[in-house]
This record gives sequence, structure tokens and C-alpha cells, in this order.
Amino acid sequence: MTSVQDLPQIRGVKNIPVEEFFTSGHRTCQGCESALVMRLMVKAAGQRTIVLGSTGCMYVANTTYYSTPWVVPWMHTQLGSAGSAATGTAAALSSMMRKGKMKQEPINVIAFCGDGGGVDMGLSAISAALQHEEYNLCIICYDNESYANTDIQVSGSSPWGANSTFSPPGKLHRIMNKRWKKNMAPMLATGHPDCKYVATTCASYGLDFTNKIRRALTIGGPTFVHCFDPCPKGWDYDPKYSHELGMLGVETGIWVMYEIANNELILNGASRAIAKGIRQRKPVEEYLTRQGRFAHMTKEDIEYFQSKVDDSWEKWWIPGLVPFGMKEDA
Amino acid sequence: MATVAVEVVYRGIYQKTLARNIVRSIVFAARKEGKIGTAFGRYGDSPERNGIPAKQFAIVADSPEELEENLAVYQAQEVDVTINVDDTMCKGIESWAWYGLEPINKLTKSGGTIIVTSRQQADALVEDIHQRSEPYNLAIVPATVSFSGLWVYKDDHTDARLLGALCKVCPQLVSLESMVAALREQGMNELKVVSAQKSYDRITQRPVEPGEGSTEIPFSFELPGWKKMEEGLVIRGIAQGGGFRGGELGYEPVRNETFKKWSTRSMRPVVNFETCIKCTLCWLQCPDTCFDVTPDGLYDANMESCCGCGVCDAVCPVPNCITMVNEAEFNDNNSQWEAWQKDPASYKQWMTTLTEKQNAGEERSHGFHHVGGYAEQIAKMGDS
Amino acid sequence: MTTTETKLFQTETEELISGSEAIAIACALADVDVITAYPIRPYDTVMQYVSKLKADGAFDCDFIVAESEHSQFEIVKHASAVGARTFCGSSGVGWFYAMEAITVTAGLRLPVVAMVGNRALDDPGAFGVEHNDALAVRDLGWMLAWVATAQEALDMALLAYRVAEDPRVFLPFAVSCDGSFLTHSQALVKVPDMKKVQRFLPPYNRGKMQLHPDNPITIAPQVNEDWLMEIRRQTNEAMLRAMEVIPEAYADFKRVFGRGDPSPFIEEYMMDDAEIVLVGMGTLAMPVRVAIRRMREQGKKVGFLRVKFFRPFATEEIKQALSHCKGIGVIDRDYSYGSPSFGGVLYNELRAALYPLESRPLILSFIAGLGGREVMVRDVNEVVDTVQRAVDTGVIEKENTWIAVRE
Repeated sequence: MTSVQDLPQIRGVKNIPVEEFFTSGHRTCQGCESALVMRLMVKAAGQRTIVLGSTGCMYVANTTYYSTPWVVPWMHTQLGSAGSAATGTAAALSSMMRKGKMKQEPINVIAFCGDGGGVDMGLSAISAALQHEEYNLCIICYDNESYANTDIQVSGSSPWGANSTFSPPGKLHRIMNKRWKKNMAPMLATGHPDCKYVATTCASYGLDFTNKIRRALTIGGPTFVHCFDPCPKGWDYDPKYSHELGMLGVETGIWVMYEIANNELILNGASRAIAKGIRQRKPVEEYLTRQGRFAHMTKEDIEYFQSKVDDSWEKWWIPGLVPFGMKEDA
Repeated sequence: MATVAVEVVYRGIYQKTLARNIVRSIVFAARKEGKIGTAFGRYGDSPERNGIPAKQFAIVADSPEELEENLAVYQAQEVDVTINVDDTMCKGIESWAWYGLEPINKLTKSGGTIIVTSRQQADALVEDIHQRSEPYNLAIVPATVSFSGLWVYKDDHTDARLLGALCKVCPQLVSLESMVAALREQGMNELKVVSAQKSYDRITQRPVEPGEGSTEIPFSFELPGWKKMEEGLVIRGIAQGGGFRGGELGYEPVRNETFKKWSTRSMRPVVNFETCIKCTLCWLQCPDTCFDVTPDGLYDANMESCCGCGVCDAVCPVPNCITMVNEAEFNDNNSQWEAWQKDPASYKQWMTTLTEKQNAGEERSHGFHHVGGYAEQIAKMGDS
Repeated sequence: MTTTETKLFQTETEELISGSEAIAIACALADVDVITAYPIRPYDTVMQYVSKLKADGAFDCDFIVAESEHSQFEIVKHASAVGARTFCGSSGVGWFYAMEAITVTAGLRLPVVAMVGNRALDDPGAFGVEHNDALAVRDLGWMLAWVATAQEALDMALLAYRVAEDPRVFLPFAVSCDGSFLTHSQALVKVPDMKKVQRFLPPYNRGKMQLHPDNPITIAPQVNEDWLMEIRRQTNEAMLRAMEVIPEAYADFKRVFGRGDPSPFIEEYMMDDAEIVLVGMGTLAMPVRVAIRRMREQGKKVGFLRVKFFRPFATEEIKQALSHCKGIGVIDRDYSYGSPSFGGVLYNELRAALYPLESRPLILSFIAGLGGREVMVRDVNEVVDTVQRAVDTGVIEKENTWIAVRE
């Protein structure tokens, strides 16, 4: 295995480096939280980094031919290929350095995908990538809970009941998306016991986010970071509230912040405070009613949503992570 | 008449349904008169980004044969009427799919009309619009900009009012009677019909003479040929940044040279440098890397990159340190920090005037929260 | 060979190996950096051999067993962009499963070399050879060659790297080997020594297109209609340049290794004064040559033209070679339902290529050997007889004939 870079944890927002490696020229929506993810991701990683971007908003809106917002080397990969792109890039670096065809140095390899590319189409390739202990790579899923680029279609990571162009509320069926959001990060963590790092985060917490990226890049081997990204376009809210909605997602307990490093789980921030009983979860209604995508929901729908979130905190073996327990006398 | 074409210039997502209602109503109304038409969005604007300028078209002809010339194209070659549903776009528009700034009157025929929804006076809008050598008319439908999200449409009658005005300024398109019939056919209520009729009666046009307007030369971009383009789909990355405005202290990223965000904003942040506590949050949480770090550790919003989302305002812990102000108030994209450095007293006065006006509430916002917000605004805008 | 691997590439040796194994050895000789595998018959014999070479220490490469063909091709695509020499391959529907990755590899101008172990497409599942799998990329910017022997497989693989990685070309290259006949049958093959290979094949240098922090570029941003025609034109030009680079590389190949046909693009067999010429690709050559030799013995003026390069298609050379004959029988090991005359793919390409000739020979299509059915000498005789009838009467009764199919 090639060595990793020295990227120390950052203590305090004021110590976040000023250098930018994702600047301007991207054509994302006003208030695009995923663009912030791109920016902070490479800010945390630094210049000696290669970024692979799978198809989605962060491809189509970000890089429009003949110019680019990227300072670091960047390459497009196909929708379901974040895992393969990272593997191929890391394998080339590893092989060529070992054989003396390229100067030895630790180079960060980051591949990103949206929820469509990661949670749906690219799941098997990500799973395969996480088995390759010999390669240092990090896969980041920016999860804006729909295929937002193609016009906002429901994905396996969309919340129950959300309006999308493939799940519009209608006269006969009010709720068209009856799937509960996939439990992606724990699925990867439990399914790949040798993977040293799986984390969830949200760019509303800039420091948490940058530090998790640095952990993922320095712990060694393949890693996965799942980021919760409010999307003003698909979720339908005033773009200035992107940051606030990210926090509300965590404070209502819908999104749980944690990291699983070297097979140990640590809950972070508000999620930790909720788990320890230090603070109360806010009602999901506060979060749902701020967004046009839930505007068709009735009181009963909101109650159902609340009960599912309650279950994940009260009935799951590990709150928000593991949805089953051991049967008594099993 | 051959063909008559209308374009609706709107802000992506926020006004998508509004634009669609307008172009579809035009085609339905023309059908009432035995004409044939087509309605379409400019494909390159899709997938739309919220706030980023986009266009839809309605083209009407006497016969299918005449219409054919306008089919299988991305946009009309020229239009009889340009409907601009956000007056800040009078300064020009940058589509997310193309390079360069298009004047709002680029497709408007000589002698054609631009209809704008605005609270501004015609002279103020003419100042924003790029000058050209052919005359055109400017018509204003007095209204606050009509914004809403994708899933919940804010029916504040803007569509009906614009359609009423359209029948007046472009009688060769369709009559008001046909338009009213089309509105009814689409299930619009009688109040909307009244809105259309009132708008028809009240709309006036202000002729704009050749040479009148903004003298800015819009940024344009020449497309290279295949021999000049690098092979392998390769584009050179952006160079690393450093320092601030040529100095060694502070930090300014190098920015994309060919794509700017001059027109993607409908609001921009105005910063009170005196109350700033240098907490970094506006800079840190900006999705558009728009804040330059000044040598004294302040954050200067760079208008090349700012798309006006307002996150900086939302995360700033100091009351009124950052205020989002209507883009129409500005005539340049200059550095606020530099102006403040040069003359703190004048800067403060300028800033105070703008922020007070904004905070008085009559001015714009992105316009919607789902809960409550729509209802309040609709009540306010209904019959202006 | 297991006992001699470490010494394998020091001197030229003769080995009893399959076409797949020959290509695996070519990869080792070319010092390929990243190889991806996924099991599907019959191509995967090449990967079994690669993994064995690696396990025995004869070949230092990153050998990755992917979780699907799509990932297999995506991984090498990205490795190639960073500057690594790469190899992968597939067969039948596996090649189709990877099709998205396959098409972008050409679009990105990445010189990935792949082996296609030709196999019939599902459904129904079948292991035997048909050429439709590889032919699916004929319009996408891949160079595409068919070989007839294990020796040619090894040689073509080396040539493939040389041509694909030429900066004037930078296009991917697929070497097609008929399933079973090449992938699973062993023949005696001359394996050159490493030094000779290095003289022929310079290191892969991606230059200013290399994805690396020292060369911070953005690759493949989204385009709209303002750009794509220019980009397609660039790829078209690269394929045009390949037409020049291939003979140049082939001349070098012959100089360094001392073997090879007169032309890299086609093999002409007993073509002098031939009045009837059969045309085909791959291992069809075996029964066809036998049949032709026997007919020649009887004084019949028949010949065989084997198309080695399907892409780029050597139009001029082929036109030249066929301009003097009277009748042509094209034997396709593929089908193209609903195509002009319902003929095979090669037939229709040839017919288009010959159209500008002032006096066009009669040309007939024959579909044979589908699903791996053996093509026998008697089948070839039937083809020649059918063409002969058309030449004699001046009338083509049926443009398309399926050979040895049960009614």
C-alpha cells in the first residue's frame, strides 16, 4: 500500500485553510449545498489530489466544456462508476509508483457520486472498491435525495412521501414514493468489516465535514463518506436556508451524524447529544413543512414519518444505524 | 402575418411554471383564432438551475407550413415580444449552458416590445438594458417579482396580467377575447380573467430610441474550432490562487475566466465591515467560493462568483452585518471592501440607505417559504 | 511452462499455448500495469493465465477482479487516464454489460487494449463463437482486429499497444479471438524476448493529457451542441491517422520480429488471378484455405481475402484487391437482422466499399458458423459453387444464403 498524506485534524473553523481548489465557473443553483461539499472536500484534501466525478448535478452543472471550476486534476466518470473510478486511479498510481514509472508520493484519490450514482446505480462498484485494502481512496456520496440533475426524480435515497417528477402527488395517489430511504452508510460499514472508515456528515457543519474528509484520506485503505445535502431546487425552499435545513435534518433525528473508524462507532454533534439525552429531537414537522416537496402531506403522513424516525431512535439496536436486534434467547 | 414569436425570459425553477403557463396560453389562444403554434423551453437551459436565467418560447403561425421553419430549433431567430419576468435580468442574461452575456433585447425585433414585471420606472430599466441600433418599446406590468418553488406554484396572477398586456402590445398575435377564452378553457378562475383584462387596459409603452440604454459591451466568447481544441476532452485547470488583489496578504482564488455570474443573482450581499467579527462563517459556508479574504482578515464578496443565494446572510451571527439587497439597486460589480477602505463614511451611508430600503420590506426576497409565505405574498400582490 | 516462467522472457522460446494465453503473455511482455478481470467464457482464459503469471512472479501488474464487466472497463479506463498501461477483455453479453464504459473509453481517447473472446449473444445462453459482440463497437472509435491463430493473437496484442498509444492515435484497441478455436485450443507460438519487445514498444506516455497533480487538467466536462461536432471530428481524425500509423508500426514489427504478412490490414490468400474470392474474418480462414487449396489443385481460380482490421477499414486496399475478380462470397459469422439484403455485417461493409468501382464484381452474402457451429470444407465448397453460379449466369438468385442450417 502506498503511504498517505499528512493532513492533521483542524481545530476550530478559523484554522480551516484559505486555499481554494474549487473556485468559480460552476453553474449550480443558488444555495447549492452540494457545491459547498465539492469546495470543502478539496479544501480539506489539498492540491496533491485527483478527483473523479460521476454523472449528476456535480458533473453537469459544475463542469461545462471549455472551462472548469477545478484547480485540482478532475475527471468525469460514469453514473455508477465512482467506486471503479477511484479503484482504477488508485491502482494506476500504486502500480506505476511501485514499478518506478511515476515519482513516489502519496496522492489523494477522491471519487464522488450523488445518491443516484451511489446509493442506487453505483452500489456494487462502491462495495467492490471498499474491499481493496491495498488502495487508498475515498468515495463521497453527496446525497440531495433525488436525481436532481435530470429534473428531480425519486431515488432509493429519497425520503418517504417526497414529491418528485417520478413521484408526483395526484388525485388518486397522494403518496407516490412509498420507499423508506436506504440506510447506506451502515450497510457499507457492516458489509465491509475491513474498511477502516465510514462516516456521515453534512456541510452545514463545515468543520465536522472537513475533518471527516481528512480522516477518510489519512486512515489508509478505501473509505466512504455520506453527506446529507439540502437541495433548494428539488426540496423547494428559499436557497438561503440550505445551511439551516441541513442542521434541522440532524436536529430532528432524520439524519444521524457519526463516524465508524477502525470498527468503532462515534456519534457526533447534535446526534450525540440526542443519543445521550442531552437534547431533545425536534419534531420532524419543523423540517418537513419547510419544504415544498412535502407540501402535499397530511397530518397523518407527518405522524407516520415521525413514528418511523422515532422507531429508528427507540427501537433500533444502534439508534439510527442498525435496524435490528438480537432475538431474546437466540 | 406569417409567424409571431414570443419569448419569456425567466429565472430557472422559480419561474418555470409561470413561464410555461404563459407560452402554453399563447398557443391555446391562437388556436381559438384558427392559428397553429408551438411552445418550448430552450433545451440548453434544461436541466434548470434555480435562479439561473432560462427561456421559453411560443411561436404562432397561420399555417403548419409557416410554423415548420420554427420547429426543431432551440430558440426563435427573433421575437416580436420579449417577456421578462424578473427586472434584474434587464442587465442581460447568462444561460448556464452558454458563454457570454446576452442583452435582454437580443432577440427582440426592431419595433418589437419588451414587457417587464417591475416596480421600477421605465427610465431606470432602460438604463440597465444594453443599447442597440434598432428601436423597440418597453412596457411595464407593475409587480413584485413572482417567485415560487418547483412543487408549489404561487398563483399571484402574474401570468394572466402578462398575457393581458401581451394582447395589447402585440395585437397581431391574438385578441384579448381569444386569450380570455383560452384562460377559461385552462380552468383559470374569473378573478384571473379580470386581472388579464385590467392589465390590457392599463399597459402603456415607452419607445426606446436607437442608442438609448447601457453602453456596456457585453462579454462575448468566440468558439474555437476542432483544430484548436485540446484532444481527449482536456481542459486546463484553474491556476492556484494566493494573496489579495496582487498583494501578498489575504487570499483570493483565481477564478474562471470565461464564465461569470453577473446575471445569476437577483440579490447580493452588502457587508457592514465595521461590525464584522471575522467569524469566517460567510466565507466558509459559501457554495460559490465568492468571498475573498482581505489582508485585514475581512471577507469581500466577489460579484464574479456570487449567485445571490443568501446563505452568508443566514449564517452570519451578527445582526445586519450582511444584508441581501435587490440586485436592481446596483450599477456595477465593484468591491465593497475597496469602497469602504477608500471612504468609510460614504460607504456607511451608501450601505445604510440600501439596507434600510431592503429591510423596509417592500423590496424583493427569493420569495417563498412553504409554510405561510405564499399566502401572505399572494394577498399582497393580487391587485396591484 | 510453470517451471520456466521467471526465465520466460529472457530469450525467445516456443510454447504450446492458446490464443488467450498468447495474449496474456503479450501483456507480460508489454509490462502492463493494471489488468481487470471478470469471469465469462471464453475470453476469461486470458485472465486465468494472467493471474497465474502474476502468482508465479513472472508478471508484475495490479490484477483486479472487478464485480462486473462495467466496473472492469471503468477501472482500466481511469487507470489509463493516469498513465498506466492497461488490459481487460470480455465476451458476448459481458462485453455488452460493459458497453457504457467501452464507449466512453473511445470518447476519452484512452488507449486501453482489450481482448474479445467472441461469443454468441444471449438469449439463449451459448458459449460458441459469433462476431456480433465485438462488432457492436464498430462505430464508436475502437480499433477492431480479428486474428486467426494464437501466434497472430500475441503479435496483434503487441501491435495494439504500439498503435493505440501512439499520440497521433490515442484510441482503444480490441483484439477479437474466436471463442473456443482460439481461446481454448493450443498451438505452438513463438514468444519473443522482452528486449525485442521493448525495442518495438516504447513506454506509454500520456503527456499533457495525463491526469496527475503535476498536470492539473479537467477531463470530459459536459458539452452542449456548440462543441460535440468538433469533438467527434477530432476522434474521426484520430482514426484517419491510425490508417497511417498501423502500417508504420507493422513495418517496425516485421523488422524487429522478422515475421508478418505484407499488409497489416488484410491477408491475401491465392488471390493472384482469382475470379472468385471469399472474404471472412478470424478462424474461418482455416476451412476456407483448405477448400481453396483443393479447388486450386483442380484448376479453379479461387482465392481468399481475410479482413484483419475491421476498424479502421482498409477500404482502398480491399478495393484494390477485389477490383479484378468476378464474384465475391462474403462469409459472415454474424447476423444483422433487417439490414440491406438481410446480409451479414462484413458483407454490407464490403458492398459499400466496392460501390465506387467502375466495374463491380457480383457480391453475395453467406451466414455461417453461428453459435460456434463448425464451418466445414463442404460448406466452403457450397459457397464457392453458389458464387460460381451467379458469375456464370450473371444473375444473383438470392443475395443472402444461410449455410448448413437445418430447414
